Amino acid sequence: MAVTAEPAAPTAAPPKTRATAPRRKPLRHRLRLDWPLVVLTVPALAQLAVFFYAPSAYSVIAFMDYSPYRSLWENPIVGFTHFQILFEDPYFVDALLNTLQFAFAQLLFVFPTSIGLALLMHSVISTKLRSTFQSIVYLPYFFSWVLVVSVFTQVLGQDGLFSRWLVGMGGDRLDIMRDPDSFMFLAWLQWTWKDAGWGMIIFLAALASINPALYEAAAVDGANRWKRLWHITLPSIRPVIVLLLILQLGSILSVGFEQYQLQRASVGWGASEVLDTFVYYRTILSANGESLGTAAGLFKGVIGLLLILAANNIAHRLGEQGIYQKS
Amino acid sequence: MPTPSDGSLFRRRSLLKAAGIGTAGAAGFPLLSACAEVSGGEGNVQEVDQTLDILPTYKEWPLPIEPDLVGEPPNHPSGYLAYPNPPAKAIANPPSNSGSYQVYVPNWGPALAKDDPYLLAMQEATGGTKIEFVQSDGEAFAEASTQWIQAEEFGDAIFMFGWMTNSHAGFNETVVNRFADISDIVSGDIAERWPLLAGRGDNAWADSVWSSDPEDPVGSAGIYGVPWGLLGGPSNAFFHRADLLAEGGFAVPTTVEELLETARAWSDDKAGRWAIGGTDYISKAWFRLEATGWLWDGSGLVHNYERSEFKEWVEFQRTLTDEKLRHPSVGSADFDGKTLHRTGEILFDQDGWSRWWQMTQEVRATGENPAFELGPVGALTFQGREPMYHSAWGVGGWLFFRKDLGEDAIAELLDVSNYVAAPYGTKEYETVQFGFEGQQFEYDADGRPALTEAGVRGFQDSLSYTAMSGTTEYLLEGPADVIEARFAFDEAILPYLDTNPFAGLRLTSPESGTNAGSVFDEKVNDIIYGRAELSELDGAVATWKSEGGDEAREFYEKAYKQLHGE
Repeated sequence: MAVTAEPAAPTAAPPKTRATAPRRKPLRHRLRLDWPLVVLTVPALAQLAVFFYAPSAYSVIAFMDYSPYRSLWENPIVGFTHFQILFEDPYFVDALLNTLQFAFAQLLFVFPTSIGLALLMHSVISTKLRSTFQSIVYLPYFFSWVLVVSVFTQVLGQDGLFSRWLVGMGGDRLDIMRDPDSFMFLAWLQWTWKDAGWGMIIFLAALASINPALYEAAAVDGANRWKRLWHITLPSIRPVIVLLLILQLGSILSVGFEQYQLQRASVGWGASEVLDTFVYYRTILSANGESLGTAAGLFKGVIGLLLILAANNIAHRLGEQGIYQKS
Repeated sequence: MPTPSDGSLFRRRSLLKAAGIGTAGAAGFPLLSACAEVSGGEGNVQEVDQTLDILPTYKEWPLPIEPDLVGEPPNHPSGYLAYPNPPAKAIANPPSNSGSYQVYVPNWGPALAKDDPYLLAMQEATGGTKIEFVQSDGEAFAEASTQWIQAEEFGDAIFMFGWMTNSHAGFNETVVNRFADISDIVSGDIAERWPLLAGRGDNAWADSVWSSDPEDPVGSAGIYGVPWGLLGGPSNAFFHRADLLAEGGFAVPTTVEELLETARAWSDDKAGRWAIGGTDYISKAWFRLEATGWLWDGSGLVHNYERSEFKEWVEFQRTLTDEKLRHPSVGSADFDGKTLHRTGEILFDQDGWSRWWQMTQEVRATGENPAFELGPVGALTFQGREPMYHSAWGVGGWLFFRKDLGEDAIAELLDVSNYVAAPYGTKEYETVQFGFEGQQFEYDADGRPALTEAGVRGFQDSLSYTAMSGTTEYLLEGPADVIEARFAFDEAILPYLDTNPFAGLRLTSPESGTNAGSVFDEKVNDIIYGRAELSELDGAVATWKSEGGDEAREFYEKAYKQLHGE
């Protein structure tokens, strides 16, 4: 027997209710609930306050005629004079251009290498082979730059292994360690050997979080290895790639110091001068040391902040999470 | 030339002040201002005045035994052919101390462990004062010390070589603000407690004085450091491997042209053989370039950079690169001249004088090469010009004490300095330089202390107690044949030693001049090592002049004219 439901008699339309955000609990209530979490953050906040925010307050000396031999408030204010000196210094412009070149080379060539290595590693099925390869690839990250440059000199230097082999074969000695024109390539080799393996680790973690069922379903649907990479793997790790890219943009003017300082004598300052070496040679070791150096540091910080904000904004517009969730 | 002992030039107290040039002190006395709003970077000048009342009263400390070869110190030091064995005891009754201190020192040798037997034995020998030497690589030390000193994090004392102060902008200002004024402790008659320090002489102590008030340079003068060795004679040497030269049938070169000829004949890039090692600081004299950089041409100062001789020097250096006559690692941090010279991979190399006797003694001790022989190349000339040899002058460095270190603590450390000031031929010198018999050294067949293998491995070139003071007199040391050869060399080179046009002044160039000089030097290095063309030199000189060279000239010229009454 068919049972049909008796249509309900029309009733008055329900009152329109406005969608409201859930009422936020008062701070006191939230503190009572979350105090263990708050306590856990205290050491980190203290560390930040003591070692970062308090020293950052001294950035004010960029606007002073600072001398370490008088108290802070006795230093006369000179406004933007140090910035003027900085921007008028022709060697600052050279250092800035070199820094940008190295930074973009790192972004274009080392960053993707880390992704490539992670993908390669992810595709290796043998756990033993994977762990061995992984160790070999990221071990150089723990070497100091002194050691890295020494290894490169021993291998690629004019009196190094490769040069001796070339001479033995009747060729000329390799000049790459002293050639300013190929220093960018040399630097890329050094970054890749030292840092690419370490950069791979975060991407590997992201790859591990991809649901294997997606690959199985795609395989059943006939997707080959490249299609799975393109349609599953890369989209899955895209938020991590974007996040790391934004963070790297923030420190774009900090390309390092030791690597360039150590090889300065070999390739000359013209090829190796970056902002950090500029600060070291032209400010720390000169009479305008503290103030001019701080001005250069502030400049780097402001550019980094602007780049982070811009990149984050673009990421949000493209639907990515960026470095924080847009509410 | 070291500060002349007659003092004729410097006995004119406050000469510069009277002449209007002033003496810089705590705030630095601006001679030239680089920027109207920003201070610092001005050049400044201090006078080295041997007549100051604050200096310790000089009391000669006579050598226990007359040297076999008596020279004319400091330019022509004396020497012993036979080691005074047993050496005389300079300090009959060591003090009784118990303090514990930390001293920062640069170091090129092995780092000593805190409980190294040498340190423990020295603690006992010097009267019980325990010193922990914080040793760092010398080149890194020179730059890092700028920050340690500003942050007042250098233990109780720090040793600085004179050349290291170039890394410190406004070093004169740093001294009076960061280091202890020890005038009250060492002024007057100190011979009873510190006879060896009293025997250092006015030259050495006057070079350790800084003034804190530019308006009153004499009244505010203070002794801020314990002087290290008083330098004199030829500053460094260009050594050749005499055995290898003889083996190849080559004579010791006497001209730059002969040097190049020998280098061309000996070098073989494919075989990994390059005749020349380091030449950068030693070779400028071969082209008659000035050690201070400035030459008075009768009407004004001309810098090396502007002279045709400098261009010739750059061309010479470039030739070494282009013709592959120089070891490829020269100019980089990997260059190890000592090892390459010892193994015979290079024929010639520059270094301080200690290489001669130290390496000779070491190679003889190991027996690795019985034919090994090292010797200095004389004053080379170029295109038949008159020879010139750069001389060393002034005090080589200072031991500075922390500003708030107590008087008793400073006095205790001065007890150690007094011990270290004992000259060659004394038991104290022997322990400081060679350690203790049976541990770091043994007497060789000639009765001279020679480092044992353990001494070479753990001690040689290691700067620790040697940093506490210079000695009362510098005497030649080493095997007898080396001393004889060095003595003869010094005598022969005397007529060619250059003089310091600014003798008696401690000058700090205006910052713009220093910066322009650094940039220019980088460019010259690019040319020398083939990274830039010779044709770029003239442009670099023009840039140097406009960026600070002319400002530096004005500063130095003013000082020179007032010093010499021009």
